[in-house]
Amino acid sequence: MALLQTDKLTKAFGALTAVNGVTLNIEAGSLHSIIGPNGAGKTTLFNLLTGTFPPTSGRILFDGRDITGTRADRIAHLGLARSYQRTTVFPAFSLLDNAWVAAFATGPSWKGLIWRPTVRYPEITTRARQALADVGLAGKADVPAREISHGEQRQLELAIALAAAPRVLLLDEPAAGLSPDETRKMVALVRALKGRYTIVLIEHKIDIIMSVSDRISVMHFGSLIAEGTPDEIQKNPEVRRAYLGGVAAAA
Amino acid sequence: MKHPILLLVAAVALLPFVVRPVIATEIWIFAIFGLGLNLLLGYTGLLSFGQSTFFGSAAYVAGWLLKHYAINVFLALGIGVAVGAASAALVGYLCVQRSGLYFIMLTFALNQLFYFIAYQWTSVTGGEDGMHGVGRPAVFGIDFKDPLNYYVFISLLFLLSLWVMKRIVESPLGKILQAIRENEVRAEAVGYNVPRFKLLAFVIGGAFSGLAGVLYAMLFGIVPLEAIGFVFSGNVLFATLIGGSGSLYGPIIGSFVFIWLSESVSVIWARWPLLLGLAFVIVVLFFRGGVVEAWARLWSWWMRWRSSRQTS
Amino acid sequence: MLYALMGLGLSLITGVLNIPNFAHGALFAVGAYLLVTTVDVVGNFWLALVLAPVGVALMGLLIEYAGIRRLYAAGHDYQLLFTFGLALIISEGIIVIWGPVGFSHLPPPILRGGLDLGFTFYPKYRLFVMVVAGLLVLLTWLFLEKTRYGAIMRAGIENKEMVSLLGIDIHKLFTVAFALGAYLAGIAGALTAPIRGINPNMGVDMLGIAFVVVALGGLGNLLGAIAAGLLIGVAQAIVAAYWTEASTAVIFAVMAAVLLVRPQGLFGIR
Repeated sequence: MALLQTDKLTKAFGALTAVNGVTLNIEAGSLHSIIGPNGAGKTTLFNLLTGTFPPTSGRILFDGRDITGTRADRIAHLGLARSYQRTTVFPAFSLLDNAWVAAFATGPSWKGLIWRPTVRYPEITTRARQALADVGLAGKADVPAREISHGEQRQLELAIALAAAPRVLLLDEPAAGLSPDETRKMVALVRALKGRYTIVLIEHKIDIIMSVSDRISVMHFGSLIAEGTPDEIQKNPEVRRAYLGGVAAAA
Repeated sequence: MKHPILLLVAAVALLPFVVRPVIATEIWIFAIFGLGLNLLLGYTGLLSFGQSTFFGSAAYVAGWLLKHYAINVFLALGIGVAVGAASAALVGYLCVQRSGLYFIMLTFALNQLFYFIAYQWTSVTGGEDGMHGVGRPAVFGIDFKDPLNYYVFISLLFLLSLWVMKRIVESPLGKILQAIRENEVRAEAVGYNVPRFKLLAFVIGGAFSGLAGVLYAMLFGIVPLEAIGFVFSGNVLFATLIGGSGSLYGPIIGSFVFIWLSESVSVIWARWPLLLGLAFVIVVLFFRGGVVEAWARLWSWWMRWRSSRQTS
Repeated sequence: MLYALMGLGLSLITGVLNIPNFAHGALFAVGAYLLVTTVDVVGNFWLALVLAPVGVALMGLLIEYAGIRRLYAAGHDYQLLFTFGLALIISEGIIVIWGPVGFSHLPPPILRGGLDLGFTFYPKYRLFVMVVAGLLVLLTWLFLEKTRYGAIMRAGIENKEMVSLLGIDIHKLFTVAFALGAYLAGIAGALTAPIRGINPNMGVDMLGIAFVVVALGGLGNLLGAIAAGLLIGVAQAIVAAYWTEASTAVIFAVMAAVLLVRPQGLFGIR
């Protein structure tokens, strides 16, 4: 059953149509990648899914329910969490606090919001620590986020999304700016998350896409031009034309 | 962790022997005011330049009730807190939609609105002359007209306020507000209704300001027009910044510095606001980060100088 | 019309420099006081009208160079405190130099008395102010819209990095913008002097109004500031006819009401 669907989703900014009638069906538990050249509208699509702005037309369905136009802060409570292309963490917070604040938001209850000390929320703290452990940062839980390396910040980026205990992870170029070594680690991480979460992945690095995806959708100038298994996409002439050396060059 | 509290309790106990009880009382009242502002400024990252709106409104309302109906002290305090919170809810609601310079300007402009209303509504507020005759009723038979008695009352209220604020900043709300300061976009994405939380910060800050306002009115027996003016807003901002907006105790240190400064200079020269303005300018140009950081810098500089002398 | 001038100047400063200029009202007051003094010294109103605002502009230059320049990276709280401190220094300084009691100052003989407009007698001087202020607004607007430097300034409001990347000295731009804003405040003050007299507090009242104009017109939206200034001026005049005491408070109330309905102001973009 498709957990996350879009129905002819469109977003126009004046004369520019960034996302054009995109229809997607993302199966629960799968890893569905979205690829396309720069400016194809991938991040705009993510912004629509997370309620950053409303679509011009079309619908978004989550678990069968229409969630089109849901406000950004409500999306997390529905079970969708996102990581960003440009590292967007809480710099002065420790890594643990970074995850804690995300875990608390979607936690079971906000009782004691104003008066209970944060250290007295064992369930939330456990969830936060688990998220850090999942990405391999458990040892640096008390370090301020601004003091860790760029690669570790990308991991933290992911941990914040995980801490929300979502059902769907929207990962926007998690390997952006990472060295080949760090990229390998990130890929292993994403692969480890497969199955536990439904993952929608935007990535540029084709080898990552090919090795982890169950299905791939290809966007170009805002529209979906192809969809299928990694094998099918590789052989698709439309895709080759759109990328024209992009596929080979990025590998 | 225990240290600051002990130090404070000691300060509270010893202060009236160092300065006049009235001054000491004023310091703690101003500290409460600063705590309220710092929740917005230091923790949430909102530069509210209109805190005197809540301070003054509470002072006027509670002061009027005290003057005309001689209400119970605790009722006056409760009303002050309520008025502070309510006016903050109003102002906050209009302001949290905007950010940056806009936000600052709005808090200021709304402050001016309240100021002009107070200025014109002379039948109630006394306009430029202020509202005189605010009483200081007795409680449990203790006569608060005695400055020392009032001081004890205020300092207990201060310690209570500090405790409340400490609980708040250590609670999830404290973390959420700081998250908003650190990265508003991510805070929202993670699932927090940012404008609503900013409003909550406003209301709490307003409540503290309102409490300070009532206590101020009772201390001096008068609500001066300045209490709702922008100079007052600037004063509490200065005190908070100079104490250091990064910590819970910063505003307390700042209150000491500010009250000491203004009390000692105002007797020398009627034009002392000029020196105050000068102090603002100097602090901004040379002492950013607050007294605590400047002190730390001086200290490390002194240490380095000492060690260089020893090695040579 | 004067509100438009003040709003324009403040909008320029906040838009280009992105700082909260709480000294704007004080600059207004200085303009008024300088006019009075210059007239006493020079004996000629017209000459004083030209010179006084230049004095304020020079002051603005000094302020920007010696102080504000150091604070661009500092964050709004410190910028606020700085300009606020400046405002205190200036307004108290005025009292030190000129005394706490205000003056009244008569307009030059040509402009005294009223003009018969048919339906009402209107003070000649006020007409003069309207005309001059209107001209200044027009000139400033032309400068900003039609000249190359004006275009650079407007670009600076939109995107500072872009402008400096284009090789333009952003610091000089800031200095000029601040000086220009100060000039506008100064001449507004100078023009006001013969209307309502001058007193050390005139800056504070004007400051609030200037902020309302900018809030309504949109930050950095120069045309919006002009329009909002005119609107506020008209609104205040209307209210003053029926309920004089509330006329100033009404300005703020109107702003609050507008923002309730349209958080981005009348002409703001968001």
